[in-house]
Amino acid sequence: MIPWPSQQNWEIMSRNLLVIVATFFILAIIQILLLKYFVLFGVGFCFLYLLALLLLPIEISFISAMVLGLLLGLTVDLFYNTIGIHAAASVFVMFIRPYWMSANKPRSGYEMTDLPMIANYGLAWFITYSFPLIAIHAFTVFMLESGGQLVGLSVVKMLATSVISLVFMLAIQYLFYSKSK
Amino acid sequence: MGQLFAFLFKYRAFFIFLILELFCFWLIVGNNNYQRAAYFKASVGVVGSVNEKSDNMSDYFGLKEVNAELAKENARLRALSFNQPTTAKVLDSLSTFRLPFDSTNTVEYVLRSAEIVDNSVRQSRNFFMINKGSKDGISPGMGVINQRGVVGKIRSVSKNFSTGISLLNVQNPISVKHNISGRFGSVLWNGDGRDALHIDLLYITREVNVQIGDSIVTTGYSQIYPKDYLVGTVASVAPDPDQRNLKISVLLSVEFGKLAYVYVIENINRQEVDSLALSTELGNNE
Repeated sequence: MIPWPSQQNWEIMSRNLLVIVATFFILAIIQILLLKYFVLFGVGFCFLYLLALLLLPIEISFISAMVLGLLLGLTVDLFYNTIGIHAAASVFVMFIRPYWMSANKPRSGYEMTDLPMIANYGLAWFITYSFPLIAIHAFTVFMLESGGQLVGLSVVKMLATSVISLVFMLAIQYLFYSKSK
Repeated sequence: MGQLFAFLFKYRAFFIFLILELFCFWLIVGNNNYQRAAYFKASVGVVGSVNEKSDNMSDYFGLKEVNAELAKENARLRALSFNQPTTAKVLDSLSTFRLPFDSTNTVEYVLRSAEIVDNSVRQSRNFFMINKGSKDGISPGMGVINQRGVVGKIRSVSKNFSTGISLLNVQNPISVKHNISGRFGSVLWNGDGRDALHIDLLYITREVNVQIGDSIVTTGYSQIYPKDYLVGTVASVAPDPDQRNLKISVLLSVEFGKLAYVYVIENINRQEVDSLALSTELGNNE
């Protein structure tokens, strides 16, 4: 059972909600307007929109996380002409995220009011938290895209895409997300 | 019952996950052509191997009939080969001869025989499956016939099996002509699963003199089937009082309920014809 937040926590959490909603919209718009055309050597894509899902608060329920993943994934799919592919990958990532988060606890444990980002838990933790999830997401997308064939090409695309997406996510956080305390 | 609900509730996250993923796969298979083809390709392989095993058993019961059919066709082919002019005759400049048809008219066809491993006639969209696949050179879009007439065309192919869309399918019209008058039309099944023997001939206008027993043959426009190959014979003709067209029912020459062995036709020139049609923006007349 989640304890009722105190007055100060309440303010931080409503600020978090604002951050999450703004992140969802801005990243979705950047993804479908700009990053859709960003491809390095035919293998390196940038799925920055995943950051909006990775930044969801820790205490969010399984189900709402997956539904949010489905909605954001479908939005991206509409513009990529790949109905269902990004949605399936996003739902899958949101399903395994809680397990990975509990397996990969920071030394001091999670704070309920802190969003999982660099400003709160540090760079090393964020990379170990996000990189496997980004890689799994990219691999799922490329495997679905090729209909289960072309495993070699999918792995190459996955590696390139994961590194590029991670670099973008780190840069965005250092530029625009200040420490929330 | 309470325990079942408790179980469902305990693992609700997983079940919601499954439901959402199934929804996504439904979207993927329904909306993306490439993934749909890959899905059918994978499913054809699995379904095919099961069907082949069950078909191996039922084969024995039909052997006698199939033998009779093959013997009949052998006889027909032998008769054809006797009627061919021999080389010596053709080369002899003293005797007059005539070519059976214009040499520019020839289309190269390759025939591959295959066995039906699964077939349906009771649905409104019927499909069949054959035991030849991509490793035998089968590819989607090839025509399928047997010794009696047109059967259908190949829809998707796996390594060892292919599924075909049967003439008895409401989504598979083919272009045909009335052999005597030479008028073009389309045959399309009406989807009535109780009557797998008849098919409708559409777009023949009322002034054409169609008699019961006239043969209906392929046009060869689609490059899928050879020209003038039998589809069926006219079973009934009725003027449709409200429309310009005749209401014609065609008795299929192929008995789909007894389908056992078929030939898959490959037209070597098809790609060339199709790309020419595309470049001149001529619709491919199905």
